[in-house]
Amino acid sequence: MSSSLPTYVFFAAIPSFFRDNLPLVLVVLVSAVVGLLMVIVFRYTSDQKAIRIAKDQLKAHLLAVRLFQDQIPVVLTSYGRILSGTGRYLKLAFKPLLYVILPLVLLIVQLDRYLGFVPLETGQPFLLKVRTVNSGSLGEVSLQLPPELTVTAPAVHVPSDNEVFWRVLAEKDGNYEVNIATAGQAFSKQAVVSPVVTRVSPVRRRGRFWERMLVSGEPPLPDDAPIQSIEVSYPARSIHFAWLDWNWIWLFFVLSLAAGFFFKSVLGIEI
Amino acid sequence: MKWHRPNFAKGRRFNRLLIVLGLVLLFPVRSEAYAGPGAGFAFLSSFWTLFVAFLYSAYAFVTWPFRHLFRWLRHRKAYGKAQIKRAVILGFDGMDPDLAERFMQEGKLPNLAQLRDRGTFRKLRTTYPPISPVAWSTFMTGVNPGKHNIYDFLARDLNSYLPFLSSAEISAPKRSLKIGKYTIPLGKPRIKGMRHGTPFWHWLGKAGIFCSVIRVPVTFPPEKFSGVLLSGMCVPDLKGSQGTFCFCTTRSTGDKFREGGVRVPIERRGAVCLSYIPGPDDPLKPDSGSELRVKFEVRPDVAKNEAHITVDSEKFMLKVGEYSEWIPVKFKAALGISAHGICRFYLKEVSPEVEVYVTPVNIDPGRPDLPVSHPVTYSIYLAKLFGPYATLGLAEDTWALNEGVLDDQAFLAQCYSNHDDRERMLFDALEKTRQGLCACVFDTTDRVQHMFWRYLDEDHPAARDVPRNQRPQVIQDLYRRMDDLIGRVRRHIDDETLLLVVSDHGFKSFARCLNLNAWLHQNGYLALKPGKSESVDWFEDVDWARTRAYTMGLNGLYLNLAGRERQGTVQPGEEAATLKAELRGKLNGLVDPSSGKIGITGVFDSDNAYAGPYVDNAPDLIIGYGDGFRASWDSVMGKVTRRVFEDNLKAWSGDHCIDPRLVPGVLFSNRKIAEEKPAIVDVAPTILKLFGLALPAQFDGKAWAVATESPRP
Repeated sequence: MSSSLPTYVFFAAIPSFFRDNLPLVLVVLVSAVVGLLMVIVFRYTSDQKAIRIAKDQLKAHLLAVRLFQDQIPVVLTSYGRILSGTGRYLKLAFKPLLYVILPLVLLIVQLDRYLGFVPLETGQPFLLKVRTVNSGSLGEVSLQLPPELTVTAPAVHVPSDNEVFWRVLAEKDGNYEVNIATAGQAFSKQAVVSPVVTRVSPVRRRGRFWERMLVSGEPPLPDDAPIQSIEVSYPARSIHFAWLDWNWIWLFFVLSLAAGFFFKSVLGIEI
Repeated sequence: MKWHRPNFAKGRRFNRLLIVLGLVLLFPVRSEAYAGPGAGFAFLSSFWTLFVAFLYSAYAFVTWPFRHLFRWLRHRKAYGKAQIKRAVILGFDGMDPDLAERFMQEGKLPNLAQLRDRGTFRKLRTTYPPISPVAWSTFMTGVNPGKHNIYDFLARDLNSYLPFLSSAEISAPKRSLKIGKYTIPLGKPRIKGMRHGTPFWHWLGKAGIFCSVIRVPVTFPPEKFSGVLLSGMCVPDLKGSQGTFCFCTTRSTGDKFREGGVRVPIERRGAVCLSYIPGPDDPLKPDSGSELRVKFEVRPDVAKNEAHITVDSEKFMLKVGEYSEWIPVKFKAALGISAHGICRFYLKEVSPEVEVYVTPVNIDPGRPDLPVSHPVTYSIYLAKLFGPYATLGLAEDTWALNEGVLDDQAFLAQCYSNHDDRERMLFDALEKTRQGLCACVFDTTDRVQHMFWRYLDEDHPAARDVPRNQRPQVIQDLYRRMDDLIGRVRRHIDDETLLLVVSDHGFKSFARCLNLNAWLHQNGYLALKPGKSESVDWFEDVDWARTRAYTMGLNGLYLNLAGRERQGTVQPGEEAATLKAELRGKLNGLVDPSSGKIGITGVFDSDNAYAGPYVDNAPDLIIGYGDGFRASWDSVMGKVTRRVFEDNLKAWSGDHCIDPRLVPGVLFSNRKIAEEKPAIVDVAPTILKLFGLALPAQFDGKAWAVATESPRP
C-alpha cells in the first residue's frame, strides 16, 4: 500500500498536468515534431556539402581575425570575407526554406486558431466590432444575438474609422452565431464560449484567400457587402514557460529551433 | 578527391527570390514569423557568426591602438634596423644541386634559372649526418647537433639497446583512475620535445616580427612563440607511430609487412565485405595490448569496377584505382573517451579479390587530439579554410610503395595531393604575413626522389626489368613542378622581400645495401649468442658482453662503452679512442667486392664533428657511405645478417644518408649572396641579421653578406 501511493499520485498527476497545461504541451509536441521534420527536409533539399564548406570557411575567417589580430589589413579582409561568406551561407540555407515555407505556414495558421486566442468565458464581457465600407451606413447596422448572449452597453459608433462596437456578455458555454444586419442583408460571425482549448476565428472579413488566411478561419464576407469585417475580441493566449509569459508563436519558434538543433546533432545533419 | 569549392551561382531568378524573402524576414511581423525554424536555422547560425565576428573585430579594433602602443613600446626596435620587410623561405627537402643544375642547363627550370642568374645559386653544406631531422634542426636553431640533440630519426636506449624516436616522446596522461582492470585516463597524453635549441623564429617573435612557419621538420610538439606554426616531420599518426598504413584484403596470406603497415583480413558476408581500421591502443586497458578499431563495410560492384564503402556515417563510392577524400574516423574507447582521426581509402581491387588500402590514420587537424600547431587553433583554421589535410610527419606513404601495396601512380597521386594542400597553405601564409617571416617546407621533393631514383639511375637493381626508353621522368617532372611553384611565389612577393630556396641535403642513388652490423660481426667487433650466425631485429641475438661496437639507425656507429651502455665492454678513454681509430682505419675506403666501388668514403669522429651539451648522446662515429651505397634495411633495424653487401631491390631507391660531402643541398635566392661556401647552419643567423637582430652567442653559423636590394631584370 505504501509503495502504491506514490505510483497513484504520479499517474494521477500526469493527466492533471496535461489538462492544466494543454497549450504548453501542444506547443512542445508540435515544436519537437516540426523541428525533426525541418531538419529532415533540410537534409534532403539542401546541398549539405556546400553548406558544410560555407560554414567551415566562415569559421576559418573568424579564426583568422583572432590569429592575425595584430595585422589590421588581415582583420579587415577577414571581416569582409565573413560578410560575403554569411551571404553565401544564407543563400544555401534559404533553398530548403522555400520547400517548407508553404506547408509550415498552413500548419501554423491552423494551430494559431487553437493556440493564438483564448475562447470567451461566461460572465466575461467582450467587444464585438463591425467595420463598414463607409461611415454613412454605420447608423443602419444592427446586432442580432442568440438568447445566451446579451448586450451590456449601448453601441458605440466611431465614424472616423467606420466602426461600431458592442459590449456583449455570454451566459453559457457554446458555439454561437451573432448576426449583423444592414441594408436589408444579414451577416453572421462565430463566437465561441468555452473553458477548454478550441478552434476560434477572431474575425470574419472580405477579401481574397491569401489576404484572409492568416487572420480568419471563416468564409469570406461577400465582396459587395456593406461590411468590411466583423471581429470578436478574443483575449490573446499567453503561455507561461520558463518564468516568462510567451505568445505561442514565439515559444514555438524557440522550441522548434531547439528541437531542430538537437535532432541535427543526433542525425548528423548540417544546417 | 579534392576539396571542391561549391558553385554558388544558381541563377538570377533564385537570387531575386532570396532577396525578397530575406527582406521580408528581416522586418518580420507576426505572420512572417511563421517562416519558423527554417529561417531560424539560417538566421541564428549566420547572425551568430556575424555577432561573434563583430565581437572579435570590435575587440581587435578597440584594443588595436593599445596593443599597437604596447608592441611599439616593447618592440620599437622591430624592423628598425631591418634590411628586409619580409623573408620567404621555401624548403625543398632533398632538392639536389647537381640535378637542379642539369635541368636548368636543359632549360627545364626557367624560374630557378632566373634566381641563379639574377640572384644566387650555391651548394649548401649540410650536417653530419645529412638526414632531414638533423639538418632541419640545425637550419632552425643555427647550431650543430651537439647543441640540439638530434642525430638521426632514432636514438637508442642505453639499457635495452632498443630504439626510440629521437624528436619527441609521447607518454600516458599524468593522472589516471584505475577501476578494476580498467584505467581511465584523466587528461591528454604527455608530449615531450627532445630537440633542444631555440628556433630562430622565436627570436624574431620576441622582437615583434610575425612569423608563419609551415611544416618545418622536427617542430613537434609545437612550441609557443609569437606567430603561427604547423608542425611537420615527426608528427605521429593516431597510433603513435610514424605512419602505419592498413591493407585490407580478402586474400589469405600470413605474410607481414617488413615496415610501416598492417594486413587486415576482409570478411565476405554475401554481397558485403567487412573489415576494420586498427587504431590506437585501448586507453582503458593500457597493458592488455588491445587496440581500438573502426569497422567499415565494402560493397563491391564488379560490373562497374567500383565499390561503395561505409565508415560510421560516411558513405562514398570509389572506382578501382581511386582515392577517397579524407574520411573522419572516431575510435571509441568508452563514453566520452575517443580519438579522432582522418584517413583516405584507396580501392585496389574488387575482383576476384577485394583489396582496400587505408592511409595511416592522421590526427584530425580540425579536431586535434594532440596539438599539431601553435596555437592549436591554427591547424583548425587551416582545416576549416581548405578542408582536412595530412598532419602525419611522413605523410607520403613510402612504405606502402616499398611493400607493393601501392603502385607508382597511386603513390604519386598521394604525394601530389598532399603537395597541393601544402601549396594552398603557403599562399595563405604569404597573404597573411605581409611583414615578417614566412617559412614552408615541402617534403614531396624528398619522398619522390627516394622512391623514383631507380628510373634515373641507369643500372639500378630495382629497375632492371624496366627498359630505359620506358622509364617515366618522374623526378624531372617533380623539379619542373617545384620550379613552377617558385614562379608563382615570385609573383606574390615584392622587391622588399627576400626569397630563399633551401634544401637540407641532396640525393644520390641507393643501389647497394651495406650491413655494417654484419661487417662488425665478421670482423670480431660484434658477437652473437652461442650457436647463432645471424640476429633478428633489434640485436635480439647479440651477445653484448662480448660486443665492442654496433650500429643502429642510418649513419651512427656506437661503441659498447662501459659505464654508458648497460653491458658496455669498452673502457672510456684510451681504449675507446684506439678502437675508434681502428674502426675508422678499416671502414674508411671499404670496397664492395662485387663492383670494386668504395662503399664508405668517410668515417667521422663525433668528437670533432660536434660540440655542445648533448654530445654524449651522439654516435661515436658517423659513417659516410659512398655514392650508390647506404646502410642496409636490416642494419638500420639492428639486424645482423651474413652478407655485408647486397642489392637494394626496393622502390626506395635514392637516398642521402651517406657521406655529407657528397650530398649538399641547394641555396637559391632572389638577392646576391657573397658567401661562396654557405652552410645550412648559417640560415638562422643570416635571417636574424637581415631583420636587424643581434646574434645569440650559441649560434655556430655565420651570417652571410646579402645584397640589400633585389637585382632588377
